[in-house]
Amino acid sequence: MSYSVNISVEAPTENQIQEITYDGTEIYQPPLTLSESLAKYAQKIDFSKTSEVEIKKEESNEDSKSDTDSKDAFQSSLWPWDSVRNKLRNTLQEVCVLADVLAIAKDKRYLVLDPVQQEPLETKPMVQIYARKKALAGAASVLLAGSEKMKNSQNEAARSRTTLDFHIELLRLRQNWRLKKVSNTIIGDLSYRTTGSKYLQTGTFEVTKAEDEEKVTSPPSSPLPGGPAPVKPTSALRVSIPSELQGVAYIEVLCQKDQEDLCTANLTLLGSGPPPSNPDMHWQQKLEAAQNVLFCKELFNQLAKEAVQLQAPIPHMVVGNQIMATVLPGIQLIIALRHSTSSDKKQQNPPPSKSDHDHVLEHSLHQLLREVHHKNTHHPFPHPATGPLGPSKKRMLAGPTAADRYELLEMTKTQTLLEQIVQQAQHFIMRMRTEYVLDTIAKEVKDPLITSHWNTLNSPTQSCVKIHISTHGYDAVCRTPLIIHVGEKSLKCICRDGKVMNMSYEPQELRDLIFCHINQHQILAVQALAKTMGWQALGNSNHLGTGTVEPLGNASSCLLSSPTGDRIIAVRCEPSDTQVSVAHSPRQDFFPSRLVTERKWEHLGGQFRDVRLDKMEGRNFLHKMELLMASLTSSS
Amino acid sequence: MSTPGNAMDSLSAALKCNIIPNQEYLLQGSVLDQYVEVLLHRLRGLCDNVDSGPETFHDHEICFSLRIPNSGATTSMPMSVFSLRVRRAIDVTDTPFQLRYIGQQELGDKNRPTVVRSSIDMACSSSIIEFLNELGCRIDFEYIARGYMFRKGRMKITVSKIFKMGSNKQESVEPISQSYIVELSVLAPSGQDSIGEDMRIFAEQLRPLVQLEKIDYKRLSNMM
Amino acid sequence: MGVTILSQFFLDNKTGPQTIEVLSKRIAALGAVQQGHFLVDCETYTSVPQLGHQRTVHVLHNSEQPATVFSLLDNGTKITSLATDGLFDLLMMKMSHFYTSKKQTKVESKGLRYEIGDFCVKLGTVTVSSNCKGILVEVEYRPCVVPAMCWDLMKEFLQGFLGTAAPTNPPAYLQNKMQDIYFPIDTIHQYLDHFTMLRKKLFIS
Repeated sequence: MSYSVNISVEAPTENQIQEITYDGTEIYQPPLTLSESLAKYAQKIDFSKTSEVEIKKEESNEDSKSDTDSKDAFQSSLWPWDSVRNKLRNTLQEVCVLADVLAIAKDKRYLVLDPVQQEPLETKPMVQIYARKKALAGAASVLLAGSEKMKNSQNEAARSRTTLDFHIELLRLRQNWRLKKVSNTIIGDLSYRTTGSKYLQTGTFEVTKAEDEEKVTSPPSSPLPGGPAPVKPTSALRVSIPSELQGVAYIEVLCQKDQEDLCTANLTLLGSGPPPSNPDMHWQQKLEAAQNVLFCKELFNQLAKEAVQLQAPIPHMVVGNQIMATVLPGIQLIIALRHSTSSDKKQQNPPPSKSDHDHVLEHSLHQLLREVHHKNTHHPFPHPATGPLGPSKKRMLAGPTAADRYELLEMTKTQTLLEQIVQQAQHFIMRMRTEYVLDTIAKEVKDPLITSHWNTLNSPTQSCVKIHISTHGYDAVCRTPLIIHVGEKSLKCICRDGKVMNMSYEPQELRDLIFCHINQHQILAVQALAKTMGWQALGNSNHLGTGTVEPLGNASSCLLSSPTGDRIIAVRCEPSDTQVSVAHSPRQDFFPSRLVTERKWEHLGGQFRDVRLDKMEGRNFLHKMELLMASLTSSS
Repeated sequence: MSTPGNAMDSLSAALKCNIIPNQEYLLQGSVLDQYVEVLLHRLRGLCDNVDSGPETFHDHEICFSLRIPNSGATTSMPMSVFSLRVRRAIDVTDTPFQLRYIGQQELGDKNRPTVVRSSIDMACSSSIIEFLNELGCRIDFEYIARGYMFRKGRMKITVSKIFKMGSNKQESVEPISQSYIVELSVLAPSGQDSIGEDMRIFAEQLRPLVQLEKIDYKRLSNMM
Repeated sequence: MGVTILSQFFLDNKTGPQTIEVLSKRIAALGAVQQGHFLVDCETYTSVPQLGHQRTVHVLHNSEQPATVFSLLDNGTKITSLATDGLFDLLMMKMSHFYTSKKQTKVESKGLRYEIGDFCVKLGTVTVSSNCKGILVEVEYRPCVVPAMCWDLMKEFLQGFLGTAAPTNPPAYLQNKMQDIYFPIDTIHQYLDHFTMLRKKLFIS
């Protein structure tokens, strides 16, 4: 065999049992000494084996010698090496005789060695061929059967892949996770320590080879070729995760107002559906789930720590697995850690959150902690290179540029995660409120039209909306743009004339402002329209001090006169309604009285009479005004 | 707000509390130009967050010394030469100049894994060169150092090529040797000797690419 | 950071604490709010004779810029300034063989700090080895960085509570830098000028 393999076999180191006593103790034979074992092995040598035939021949010739042998044999029992000696002596004798014979034969004088004529073998070629053929066929069938068997099993393995090789699996695991070998076990680490986390809880897991029984039990289900259920590949790896990291965890973020949810966010790394935590789960998913649990725990831990430390006007509350922070008056942000292990998952399965919100807060929380991790590891390098590691570039410059203490104080300030998420929640609510106010006003007020454009680019704590107030069909005549910056707890409105209005978080303020601008828009639009119609604006006021007191804001008004000056229109806009009055300049109802006698006074203008706008034709206010002005112009 | 304390008082208090990092733990070695890539590769594997590649630097260093001219007459003075180094980054312009005093180095016995030398390090305004000249300092030598730096925890590793300053122009620099100097250093308050052990272990991991050792300058100068 | 004007103030027949009291009453009457304390100190080192012609290094600290040590090097003809980190003091200790300091030369100005609108007023008592040597009034106008543009305003403000004792011209140090941007080191220069003057007064009396 060309592929012979050296196999060394060693006797077990145990000693042979000589005796077992009644109480079960085993008495061992003392180990053989070196010489004893040598003698033992020497006795085992069968010197006669190779020259069996010759010895037999000799035996027949030398009967007398056999006697001596028997005598020796008798003696041999006395001395352990005796038989060996005798056999060696015989061998020597034979070798000597052979040497003598060869020496004599070499002279070729007394002895000549002749080749003995061998009897030719009777060869029957056909028989031989058949015999060989049969033997070969037998061997071939054995080989074929074997190869077939191997091929089958190979196919089977390839098809079902029920068992992957442990080492290949380990290699794959190693590509994604940190592993190290500690004595006989393989320990992995799924914590975020290497990416900058300073969370104390360890995330070690152990990697073991899957038990053989499991591997054996799984294949029988596969051999059925038409079996309906595709066999899930069972891994040759088992990862055991500490119990506190098992299960599924996520962070729930709720904005609550009077026990009513405004928004909910669930933070999971594995999507919305909680993955089953059955033991058959693939190790990759299992580890990812555990890592997610660890991440959520760290996040919550950090938030809880901050909630306790922060000195908020309304203190944050940490109860159990829940943090409650007041975002705006009456609105709470609730951050809760939900961790369900496989056992109690059934009972604790929370009802699916009713409001499917945008995932901003979820993402933010996630991002914030990652940012902290990143900052922990990515310290700036000093320039020049001999500078100290650690201080930021700004801090390095503080000395030479003589930064004052406010700047220095500013450098030390860092926002905590909780502060940031509270700010983001505040902004979220502010944005929502603003949206709501704008939408309701747009719905309520059909004339003029209110359009709002939200900027697509915004930050988690700042966004911007542009509002246009215009009248359908007249947007070229007049348009009032407003820009509202939505911040964390305040709104900033930049008006048409560049005035900046700062508002608080109360939505009513924004509402008032918009209504005020609607009135102003109407008045401005009427004046612009009047200009195109050849009418003259006599005067206007954005905040009219006369008339009935409005529940909010002031009315705006303007006075227009016709091109010839014989008609005057007065417009008064207030949130509740719009009044339009008309006066004729040579008053038609002029009657000389005792006080005003002369006729010339009729040019002073007469009484204003209300126009019933609702009875007028026209799509909207401006249209009506256009018609009104047109009719008043033509009639003159 | 409490009364601001005297700056000197707070400094001496800080000295007493031992929070000023004024000890530099140092190991040095060198690597030939052709193997520096291999070393950088190794460092990328060992050091913290090098996902964005190693940080490069390009610095200009001037070494000044303050000496008493007739030091022979005043032998009672234990130390009559006082050297100061000024370093500035050429590649990053908005960084301060760095003024550095490096004290006598202590090699210590064999058990001490690193060289320890006192180091006072401060950022300063760009008037430092003029200031030192006026102070009576003379320029001993100057050079350009260009290379890469890494960090591993508190340890800073620089792999730098030293260039001789040209006659006048910045471009006409020529390398001093065919090798890079490798330095492993930590700046820490005195008494934190455990860091030396960490450095020794780290240096061990760079073998045999580079042998980071305690370099005895006195012996070097004797050899020459 | 703004423009700072430093001026001496003294009242006849009044001790230092009394003068401070008068001033603080006046400034409080203007509506200023006290905002902590301040301290500017100056240590002077002189070169040893072996180092050739004498040079003086004044090391100053200003509590307004707590991370900075200012050093002014006077070689007799010109003054070179330097701003560094806090460790410069440590370096000066190391240089004790070349530059030595005498305890008596340490000057400091110390007192209360007031804020009134855009102005910051500091009323400092100057002490040399715990002897009161005078009163320094520092006024900073924070929104402006060019002295020429706010000098008149500051003059008026100073007159408002110093009366006729208020300076009528900008400090000598600033006079040829009125159009330049003001830096904290300029405040330090003014302090040094006043400290030198007051110290001389000590040696005369």
